[in-house]
Amino acid sequence: MLNRRDAIRGLALAVGVGSTGWAERALAAAAPVPALAWTPTALTQDQARLLDVVAELIIPTTDTPGAREAGVPQFIDRAVGNYYEKSQVDQLLGGLARIDADARAAHGDSFVALAPEKQVALLTVYDQEAGVARGQGQSHFFPALEDMVTVGYFTSEIGATQALKYDPVPGAYHGCVPLAEIGRAWALR
Amino acid sequence: MANLNGRARRKNTYDAIVVGSGITGGIAAKELTQKGLKVLVLERGRMVRHLEDYPTAVMDPWQTKYPQGQLPQAELAAHYPVQRRTNYTMTEYTQHFFVRDDENPYTEESRFDWIRGYHVGGRSLTWGRQSYRHSPIDFEANAKEGIGVDWPIRYEDLAPWYEHVERFIGVSGQAEGLPHFPDGHYQPPMEMNCVEKAFKSRSEAKFPERRISIGRTAHLTDPTEEQLALGRTKCQFRNQCIRGCPFGGYYSSNSGGLIAAERTGNLVIRPNSIVTELIYDDKAGKASGVRILDAVTRKDEEFYADVVFLCASAFNSTWIMMNSTSSRFPNGFGNGSDQLGRNVMDHHLGVGASGEAPEFAEMYFSGRRPNGIYVPRFRNLGDAATKRSDYLRGFGYQGGASRATWDRDLGARAQGAKGFGAARKAALSQPGPWTMGLGGFGEILPYEDNRVTLNRDKTDAFGLPTLTFNVTMRENEIAMRRDMQTAAAEMLEAAGFKNVKGHDGGYAPGLGIHEMGTARMGRDPKTSVLNAHNQVHECKNVYVTDGAAMTSASCVNPSLTYMALTARAADHAVKARKRGDL
Repeated sequence: MLNRRDAIRGLALAVGVGSTGWAERALAAAAPVPALAWTPTALTQDQARLLDVVAELIIPTTDTPGAREAGVPQFIDRAVGNYYEKSQVDQLLGGLARIDADARAAHGDSFVALAPEKQVALLTVYDQEAGVARGQGQSHFFPALEDMVTVGYFTSEIGATQALKYDPVPGAYHGCVPLAEIGRAWALR
Repeated sequence: MANLNGRARRKNTYDAIVVGSGITGGIAAKELTQKGLKVLVLERGRMVRHLEDYPTAVMDPWQTKYPQGQLPQAELAAHYPVQRRTNYTMTEYTQHFFVRDDENPYTEESRFDWIRGYHVGGRSLTWGRQSYRHSPIDFEANAKEGIGVDWPIRYEDLAPWYEHVERFIGVSGQAEGLPHFPDGHYQPPMEMNCVEKAFKSRSEAKFPERRISIGRTAHLTDPTEEQLALGRTKCQFRNQCIRGCPFGGYYSSNSGGLIAAERTGNLVIRPNSIVTELIYDDKAGKASGVRILDAVTRKDEEFYADVVFLCASAFNSTWIMMNSTSSRFPNGFGNGSDQLGRNVMDHHLGVGASGEAPEFAEMYFSGRRPNGIYVPRFRNLGDAATKRSDYLRGFGYQGGASRATWDRDLGARAQGAKGFGAARKAALSQPGPWTMGLGGFGEILPYEDNRVTLNRDKTDAFGLPTLTFNVTMRENEIAMRRDMQTAAAEMLEAAGFKNVKGHDGGYAPGLGIHEMGTARMGRDPKTSVLNAHNQVHECKNVYVTDGAAMTSASCVNPSLTYMALTARAADHAVKARKRGDL
């Protein structure tokens, strides 16, 4: 465990986010821990709060709302209760536990309390790890979590109608239209 | 149950009984009622009324109970181990239109994917809607090659009935003027997209005999007065057909044949009525009606008619005949030939090729076309140029080009790190690469030992006997599959596609959901079950007009042919009844 924590610390440094400077500490202390606006049914309060922050980092608010506003954490909480296989749930919960443990090991604080830069740095480590794991045919919690967030987001009303283009009743088919005239990918196929 | 007499018997007596309410039952009901017969349609499943009973038709993706409307693995494994095998039929959107396998068991001596829906409308609600005519060479091939038995009819016999059905159901398509791919009566064709148009012009330049057309599909693009009067309207390009169409944009029994039949005032539909037997009247030398098991009350009841149409789907019509034993028919109804249950055919698929078209990155489409492109058969057309030495018959391709969407990096589709955050979100909000795919639909020959048999030892939820399947692919089909893959890749290469890959994902009999052949038509009662008018050779007032009747499979989607055979048989039945011949 210690070795992995050291490795995380090293990688976090490598991707350009220090963990020892006073400025970062101050920033971390100042970062508000967001309150959960909903009540989880399958996840614990702590798991849900962490998921809420991670989901928003995976699909953030940009010119369109992000995962939080789209209700993605609630979507995943519901699917933990009624849909995902046990192996998926175990991988998800294990991943959430690891994120928090790594945050504490690297920065001495919970993930949700870290400055956004540090949060991004940690997730970047997982993303890179996952890329290596995929090359070796191994499963990794982070892309699996990304998939949950991605499905939840793009099938949400916000994701489908704002990030994507939604047309429930097209009325006609036009086979050759400049993409610029449509602007975004269609939500439905 | 004792025979009914007197008033009770009269109450249960009709001019005609139609067993099944799917793609052929709906046409039989329409044709017979419009010709003045009082018709009882018996449907084993529940009522499904057009518009009222399509609970998911306008559901948005965010309204599903489960992610992407996919059912949990445990539920699929417990209730739908077969229905799930297609990977597209069994979702939260469609679950109510397919059977529960645990309640409808059968035995697989070899794997057989029997995908079914037991309700009014049957699979006419969930079908693929591709509508092609068999060609003259399809009707001649068995005789020429000495395969199975000869069709007792030729293309010319069925051509007017194809037209009759096309005019009623509405088929959108493009006439091509090819003798081996007969044109029908079409509403305006749907449009190809940029990539498909480029594929067509470039591939045809290299392979002119491989015509590329838009799919011929039972959707309204310019509805007739008759179709509008039924309450149907133009296809809205939603591509959510399998949930039931609130516009009646595609043809189903529920939106078409059954409504037309109901409006004559001559139709009674009785759902929850499992026909268990044909009743044979020894003295009269014909069938007097059918016996049912009421699925709700679990009571037997009898219904009587001058003529019975079996339209219950190939295996269920066959099952009814196998289960109808008597001193006249100890081995099953009309089964003097021992051909009942034999010659199971389907279309083998799941093989083809795909490629990418990066040059069209700036182009897109609007609307969701519920249709693809079609490449009619181009092998073994009777001339030296198209002759194959390695297999008989041929295949058609169905396919199309589309752009990947937001789900393109899920699961195994991603390679390396996926990234996260604003950049990935922006990328997934744009369409991904264009991919063009071609998938073959190949003809399967009739083999006598590809068969279903009745198993009285294993019973279903109603205590009724079940079917046992033993159906396998043979050398001809396997050799054809190799060519199906190679020729598809050749065409994509010729058209300049990038990253062209052939694929053969495997195929199990049944997966084409085009089962047919188990009560074949033929000229000789010794080698076939039905005659040239779909009458049981040995009992002329029973007609079988679903897929069971097929003498050979062709490689085109079969529903249009089933419907044409049904309309033709109905015409025959009404005339024969008038003459007193039934």
